[in-house]
Amino acid sequence: MNRRSFLSSAAAVAAGLSAPLVGRSAFAKETVTVGGPLSLSGVFANVGTPVDMGNRMAVEFFNRSLPVQLQYLSLDDQSDPGKGVRKVQEAIQQSGVKYFSGTSNSASAMAVAKEVYGAGGVYVNQAGADSVTGADCNRSTFRWPAATYGAIEQSVRPLIDLHPKARRWYTITGQYVFGEALLANTKRVLAEKQCEHVGNVSHSLSEKEFSGYIANAMAAQPDVLCILNFGNQTMDVIRAAVNFGMKRNVIIIAPWSTGLDQFQALGPDVVEGLYFGIQYWHDLQTPGNRRLLEAYAQQYKDRPNHSFATAFACTQVIAEGIAKAGTADCAQVIKALEGLQYEGICGTETVRAGDHQILKDCYLARGKAKSAMKDAYDFADILSGGQSFLPVEQTGCTFPA
Amino acid sequence: MNIYLFQLVNGLGLGMIYFLTAVGLSILFGLLNFVNFAHGAFFLFGAYACFEIASRTGSFYLSLLLAPLCVAALGWGLNKFLLNRVMHLAHSAHILITFGIMLVLQELVVLAWGPLPQNVPMPAGLSGALILGSFVYPQYRLFVIGLSIAVAVLLYLVLEKTRFGALLRAASQDASTVSLIGVNVAGIFSAAFALGGWLAGLAGVLTAPMRGVDPAMGMDALAIAFAVVIVGGLGSFTGALVGGLLVGVVQSMMSTVWPEGARLMIYCAVAAVLLLRPNGLLGRA
Repeated sequence: MNRRSFLSSAAAVAAGLSAPLVGRSAFAKETVTVGGPLSLSGVFANVGTPVDMGNRMAVEFFNRSLPVQLQYLSLDDQSDPGKGVRKVQEAIQQSGVKYFSGTSNSASAMAVAKEVYGAGGVYVNQAGADSVTGADCNRSTFRWPAATYGAIEQSVRPLIDLHPKARRWYTITGQYVFGEALLANTKRVLAEKQCEHVGNVSHSLSEKEFSGYIANAMAAQPDVLCILNFGNQTMDVIRAAVNFGMKRNVIIIAPWSTGLDQFQALGPDVVEGLYFGIQYWHDLQTPGNRRLLEAYAQQYKDRPNHSFATAFACTQVIAEGIAKAGTADCAQVIKALEGLQYEGICGTETVRAGDHQILKDCYLARGKAKSAMKDAYDFADILSGGQSFLPVEQTGCTFPA
Repeated sequence: MNIYLFQLVNGLGLGMIYFLTAVGLSILFGLLNFVNFAHGAFFLFGAYACFEIASRTGSFYLSLLLAPLCVAALGWGLNKFLLNRVMHLAHSAHILITFGIMLVLQELVVLAWGPLPQNVPMPAGLSGALILGSFVYPQYRLFVIGLSIAVAVLLYLVLEKTRFGALLRAASQDASTVSLIGVNVAGIFSAAFALGGWLAGLAGVLTAPMRGVDPAMGMDALAIAFAVVIVGGLGSFTGALVGGLLVGVVQSMMSTVWPEGARLMIYCAVAAVLLLRPNGLLGRA
């Protein structure tokens, strides 16, 4: 082989080897990682596990229509906000993650939000604490569920209208910021509707035994027992109230309920006739929810619960922002999200620019009799729904100029 | 009915439930000088065994019969194959090893049944409330209190009036002498573990319809059980009874007097007892 033919052959080989790379780079999408800071172990694992599943499915689902390739990274905080923050810091510094979706509890969400803001990322979560889009708001954070104001407006107010003769209300409240916010909003609505708040008893975050608190409630002889806490404590109070026979002559409402998973844990005999304020229901007849149910049915046999669906909704917000911005640049995505309207699982949802609160419907549901259930998941009927949000100037949220 | 009188009655009822939760722990320490932090896992297993059996058969009463036996078998097996090898170690080793077992069993529960809470329906015929004038009390709680009293009497008779109980008490004081008279001391101790497991499992089964089942319930039960045995005195059957009743009454009364601190007051009572009587009200050193 002479020099000329050697060089020609070498050039041909090099061209052949580089052709796939050239071809690939022309069509390759940017890979964007969405981190899920949630609890896959510890006391909040019962929330974190379905949130993780919802994030994962949403990433697979929305990948089809985005200009980037989404991938998902679970960040197990082991039910410890401090560990969650460290995992997020590592993800940001070592893996360049800028997008985060979901949470298992408000304390973790608020800690993570500060870190993501410091890194100029985007964080969408389903925390319940009002301050997430209130005093502790920041430009990086978006919150999907309605705050306590909306939850109470769309549950307590319509219940009063439904039962105008039930004027005496007794509340059992969790003694933490979230519970106090629920109580303040409930008292405001009761006062406006000229109902009598006959008493309140507060309990600690660690309380498990509620028979004594129910005794206090029964002694006040209310028309309505209003349960202002969340999670397992809501279920513990409901069980105690039903066991003590309060359903006979008292209307019972839990304005902050996670719906299906709680109904399954309580059972239809307990749930029947009770009222619940919920942020999502698997039977909602919206295009966004039908889309979720179709995707869910391809992987699972049951129905999506609150934690799963809200995680899907949070990741959808990220996807919608990237789709509108046409890029994964965080600053541009944040700008694209502000004021954006899209078809979410609860119908048309809007990202409010002033505090990054997603404006969406909340619902009042009533538990059905077991004999009336169409299937194993048909625990409740939606009685009413709507959107209620404080004006931005009243939330306490101020974005720096 | 006056609210304080009701809370007292409620507290006594609650106390019997706490006694049942704690007595297995107290017996194991009293008879075997063994601090069993896996007690909460026995409680947890009992509750989930109840959930599984009740879901499959539709019968709570069948689960009441079978689930504690399953936990007894677990207790027996743990002792035979693991714990009797570490019985001679210090209490701190007992605590570490059994706490590790507790964590492992808790994660096994999550693997088997998932992290979400589950429902165990109230048994038929016990889902209502007894109403006597202004006094209203759940029928199921009355059933639990009655059963707890029966178990307490039975347990006392077994420990004090049977040959097995005599051998168990003798072996706990002088195992070598008891073995010299031809008694299988290891078998006796395994039986004691099985008894402790049975009691904890029974408490779990009885709690399941009241609270549902969730993977964290074992830790909660362990906290209450330790509060009860510390107040009553480790190793004392009567102490567990007195401790349970005291903890139940304190918690119930405080939910009217100082509701926000009702749970805290349990541990304040524990601290007060430890300061005044370090071995508990009826405990031995």
